[in-house]
Amino acid sequence: MDVLIQLVLNGILLGSMYAIISVGLTLIFGIVRVVNFAHGEFLMVGMYAAYLLAAKFGLHPYASAIPVVLLLFALGALVQRFLIQPLLSADEHIQIFATVGLSTALVNLALLLFGADLYSVPPSAAQGSVQVAGFTLVKGQIVMFVCALALVAGLHLFMQSTALGRAIRATAQNRNAALLMGVKVDKIYVIAFGMGAACVGLASALVMPLYPVTPTIGTYFVLTAFVVVVLGGMRSMYGAFFGAMIIGLVDSLSGYYIAPDLKEVVYFALFLLILIFKPTGLFGLGRGTE
Amino acid sequence: MKSFARAAFAAALLVAASPFAGPAAAQGTIKFGALYPFSGGLALLGDESFRGFELAVEERNAAGGIDGKKIEFIKGDAVDPNQAVGEARRLTSVDKVSAIFGTYSSSLSLAATQVTELAGIPYFELGAVSDPITERGFKYVYRTNATARDFANRMVDSVIEAIAPALGIKPADLKVGIIHEDSLYGQTVSGYQKTRAKEMGLNVVETLPYSAKSVDLTPVILRLKSAGVDVVLQTSYQNDTVLFFRQMKDQGYKPKAVMGAGGGYSTRDTMMAVGAENMEGALDVDFTQYNTNPKAAPGITEFVAKYKAKYGIDPRSGHSLANYMGAKVFFDAIAAAKSTDADKVRAAVMKVDIPVGETATGWGAKFSEQGQNTRAKPFLMQWQGGNLVTVFPETAAVAKMKVGVGSN
Repeated sequence: MDVLIQLVLNGILLGSMYAIISVGLTLIFGIVRVVNFAHGEFLMVGMYAAYLLAAKFGLHPYASAIPVVLLLFALGALVQRFLIQPLLSADEHIQIFATVGLSTALVNLALLLFGADLYSVPPSAAQGSVQVAGFTLVKGQIVMFVCALALVAGLHLFMQSTALGRAIRATAQNRNAALLMGVKVDKIYVIAFGMGAACVGLASALVMPLYPVTPTIGTYFVLTAFVVVVLGGMRSMYGAFFGAMIIGLVDSLSGYYIAPDLKEVVYFALFLLILIFKPTGLFGLGRGTE
Repeated sequence: MKSFARAAFAAALLVAASPFAGPAAAQGTIKFGALYPFSGGLALLGDESFRGFELAVEERNAAGGIDGKKIEFIKGDAVDPNQAVGEARRLTSVDKVSAIFGTYSSSLSLAATQVTELAGIPYFELGAVSDPITERGFKYVYRTNATARDFANRMVDSVIEAIAPALGIKPADLKVGIIHEDSLYGQTVSGYQKTRAKEMGLNVVETLPYSAKSVDLTPVILRLKSAGVDVVLQTSYQNDTVLFFRQMKDQGYKPKAVMGAGGGYSTRDTMMAVGAENMEGALDVDFTQYNTNPKAAPGITEFVAKYKAKYGIDPRSGHSLANYMGAKVFFDAIAAAKSTDADKVRAAVMKVDIPVGETATGWGAKFSEQGQNTRAKPFLMQWQGGNLVTVFPETAAVAKMKVGVGSN
């Protein structure tokens, strides 16, 4: 029983990490309608940035969250403005190729600059764990959980109660109608892509104390993030959050009770079942909204 | 039809050209190919391996070369198996080398040796560990270094010969857990471990494969913890090694010993990322590293001095040493053959008989019919105070083995 509770706790904490990454992906997909295959590489860029800030200026990764979030916002905005925007009216496949190309380019750029070695920030308190009623919780993961909740709540407030948030929601609902209402759609896209990337920036600052960075680190996280996004109904931020929790729990429980190498099989099987029986995702709004 | 004619012409040229390989070598030089990954993802350790070969060549040339002939080598850059084949073809047919030395990576070696075997040219493998390289019945492929099976056997034997006595527990009473990443590398080594452990009567209570790309190994750790595993044998790359050590600490799992098979366990990067105090006591089976007793590995100190003089830094891994040792053994064999004829070289290699503890890696050299060195045994090392030191066997040890892992 103790093991079960420990696994559930681990699963929720793991899920919160997936949540922060997936919320960013959902924003980009839901608003700009672009599948961003370079999402994992954004994470890698953010992690290298956090590493460099720690190595050169002695900044704690959590303190580096602010500059890294700004940097990633800029990166996302630039990618949207100069890579995606010229292709917006082109076929969807072309946009996918563009992001896949960007992903490959970023990985190789990192290989060129940093080599294949792994880098990590100096050990900090975030790596330690605390005992709560006999259960072990990793401090860095608790921080992630709190941040994931704060991120979703913050984005909710932003979307519901600011003019920009309303414009973003209008654009996501109907691009042409928003355009007719005087919303500068292109600008909204740039902001939305930037926000999605900024979420990954936050994730990379939080992940950095727990995982060393390598050029291919993005691939470790991003496949799961895609599953989470689809599970969550593709456009729903809240869906992405709960989807991430489900995947975190499945990951943790199946790794223990079935086999560690089969946990991917379990959640991809779940993924296929959901695609077959509820193609709009668990939290989707129904047919036609995907 | 045209292309067939061209192929036939090329083949005719090849056949016609081969007799000239002999006379070319007689003019005061002897030509070898050095086939390593010099660029791409494997380049770092590929280059490190090549440095060992290069140093062996320089040493030999300074001492008068082979049979009074200077050694010349031509580099081949094998980035992937396709290119390994291409470069092996170029070296054997265009450059007409008398033998090829290589390769660091098993997949490259498996591909390149098929070319040299067909061309009837000796291939000396100095660093790749995959067993099948010398299990395909090839006549002109030889290997000095230890194989994956040697690694696995040494790990299992260390549990019985080193860990159990140090703990004062009977080997059969220890609960052993085997964990490994689930690609070919992990599957191969852990497969040999299971076989050996069964032979030796060890009690393996858990065998857990996991994906090297996993971001969470706590299920693995909790399984080991609930099974009460005393000794963990891990076959892993760098990222998963780091993750395992970090999460083991987080989850408060304290096995009596953790042992890795080279890979992620040997690099300084791993130790730095895990932290010296958490890596303390971690055991590692690998090629001979530099904190080894020179009495058991004569020439190791001189090698490090030569390396530093030439490249300006300390050796980056044990790969250079293994390649240096292997190249020297084969240079001697070729000198003894007094010819670069493949069959005469084979006869000379079969006659090589160097006892254990008389080369710079501490290995001996005696080749099986398949060309595999039967006297290459990897050593057991341990992280102590941020350094990887040899602890077993005793003749090669520079420090006493400690019990326990990490600061907890």
